[in-house]
Amino acid sequence: MTGEKDTIVHIDNITKRFGNVVAVDRLDMKIVAGEFVTFLGPSGCGKSTTLRMLGGFETPDEGRIVLDGVDVTRQPPNRRDVNMVFQDYALFPHMSVGQNVSFGLELKGQSRPEIERRMTELLDFLQLSGFRDRTPDQLSGGQRQRVALARALAPDPKLLLLDEPLGALDAKLRGQVQIELKDIQKRTGKTFFFVTHDQEEALTMSDRIVVMNAGRVEQAGTPEDLYFRPESRFVAEFIGETNLINGTVRGIDDDRVVIDWNGLDIRGSGHGHRPGEGDNVTASLRLENVVCHPKKPSRENAIEGRIVSKLFKGSRTSLDIRVGEKEDTVIRAYMDAGNAAQISDDQLWISWEPERLTVLRD
Amino acid sequence: MTRNTRILMSVIYWAFIVYLFVPLALMVTMGFKDSKFIGFPIRSWTLDWYTAVIQDTEVLSVFGYSMTIAISTTILSLIIGTWIAVFLGPNKFRGKAIIFALACLPAVIPGIISAIALRIFARLIDIEPGMFAIILGHTVHNVPFVALVVMARLSTQPKSHIEAARDLGADSIVAFFRVTLPYLKPALIGAGIFCMLLSFDDFVRAFFLGGYQPTLPVLIFAKLRSGMSPEINAISTIVLIMTAILGLWAERSMRRLNKGS
Repeated sequence: MTGEKDTIVHIDNITKRFGNVVAVDRLDMKIVAGEFVTFLGPSGCGKSTTLRMLGGFETPDEGRIVLDGVDVTRQPPNRRDVNMVFQDYALFPHMSVGQNVSFGLELKGQSRPEIERRMTELLDFLQLSGFRDRTPDQLSGGQRQRVALARALAPDPKLLLLDEPLGALDAKLRGQVQIELKDIQKRTGKTFFFVTHDQEEALTMSDRIVVMNAGRVEQAGTPEDLYFRPESRFVAEFIGETNLINGTVRGIDDDRVVIDWNGLDIRGSGHGHRPGEGDNVTASLRLENVVCHPKKPSRENAIEGRIVSKLFKGSRTSLDIRVGEKEDTVIRAYMDAGNAAQISDDQLWISWEPERLTVLRD
Repeated sequence: MTRNTRILMSVIYWAFIVYLFVPLALMVTMGFKDSKFIGFPIRSWTLDWYTAVIQDTEVLSVFGYSMTIAISTTILSLIIGTWIAVFLGPNKFRGKAIIFALACLPAVIPGIISAIALRIFARLIDIEPGMFAIILGHTVHNVPFVALVVMARLSTQPKSHIEAARDLGADSIVAFFRVTLPYLKPALIGAGIFCMLLSFDDFVRAFFLGGYQPTLPVLIFAKLRSGMSPEINAISTIVLIMTAILGLWAERSMRRLNKGS
């Protein structure tokens, strides 16, 4: 998806060390103008350090950061056309909402009427018009988050950095803000660089997700790519819930891979990755891709099993289905709560589309 | 806590309050007595002593002199103290503990020692005894208090505030004046008023470093030597009321500002 479009940021092979710890390890990436890209990973994976290097708060030990064709690696934060929404919003407590939003415009040396126009426009855009003269402590969490966003958007940056800006909101509000944020990004056409450890946020909002682990990129791709075609065990486990199946490759036919899993023949897909025959591999199968049948289906790829445990989770039920001879040959599946009641615990069949069982690269 | 210890605690507390306020109340009362002799019984009351104070040009000019010293000292102490706090605050460097200890030392050196030392020093570098010498002496003494209060406040400022200012285009000096300084405001008000009171109240340094013109405490001392008079009570009462109002106002505005951030 890169290539023909304009690259706005080129992260050119950057490395950052803190003492002996390598926080970011030879990260190389291009960000396209207008893209919503999310860096996702557990704490300490290097995603925040990357963000801070883009903002100018850290300097990479090696490599360059090129913003719209200009090398900004060593430029201080105040000299870059990059603005940030901080995790704690960092609103200035002694300034009103209007003054907070105007701050960046004043420092850009814009004229009073111009500042006034832009500030009013942003407050309208983010539904904050009525709060212009309030101070940050008179606002709710969601309003503060919008003020932080308005303040960062005001100077019209080439890249907007967002450092886990939804972390401080309660769960119910978070869902709503995710939709708003995506909408704002679309309407402004800004490039958003979003950092989070929350996979749901990443899946909901991003055009592209970059999963980081231990300072390196594990996998980058669209949310669908990462969810249904993870390349590594880390990505498969970090995003969503999945069945991990360890087996030996018995044969390969085109893109189909047949795996021997504790004596069972199961079919999956390498999605371009071709393991050798006899290799030990791990495959990932999403819970919702497992189909349960009360009677033996006519399709060939069905396995008989029995339910060893059932967990009611409201709209759906999660089932642990033992399919083989061995104790640990268990597949977990999701079913609608209504359908789950019609299935006998002692005998059922499960199947899946072979494309949905992804053979991992490591 | 048993019942008995509770009673004992409250007795001690009230004894302390009595000990604190009875002398003050006596001093205030005697300022209204229509007689030159301080003591009971009081047969008639008067405001003459207050009229005398207000008409006493010497007292008024000395009051102005003391205020000038207090205000100058406060401004100097705030600037130097804040500078030290900001300098020592976030940075970690070798010798930071020593620099901090040296900056705090003047707060704990006995007044008489530092007064004598400053007097000798002022003489050596040809600073005339007088207002300038007193201001310098008071500033040295007050800076540690400012530095400590400002440092405490500074340590509660989220790092992201300054980063946000830098992010929005401020260099570090603009970020300091537009974001950090307003954040420090309650600390600066509190420390400033404390400095004013310390300076206004000081006798020892003013006595050693002063010239012919006395400060208010030095004048009161001089007047005492020629005999206790209710006029002194009147002066003291005025000072007491003014400082109490200043202190309460500072406390209130600090609380309001602290709540707001």
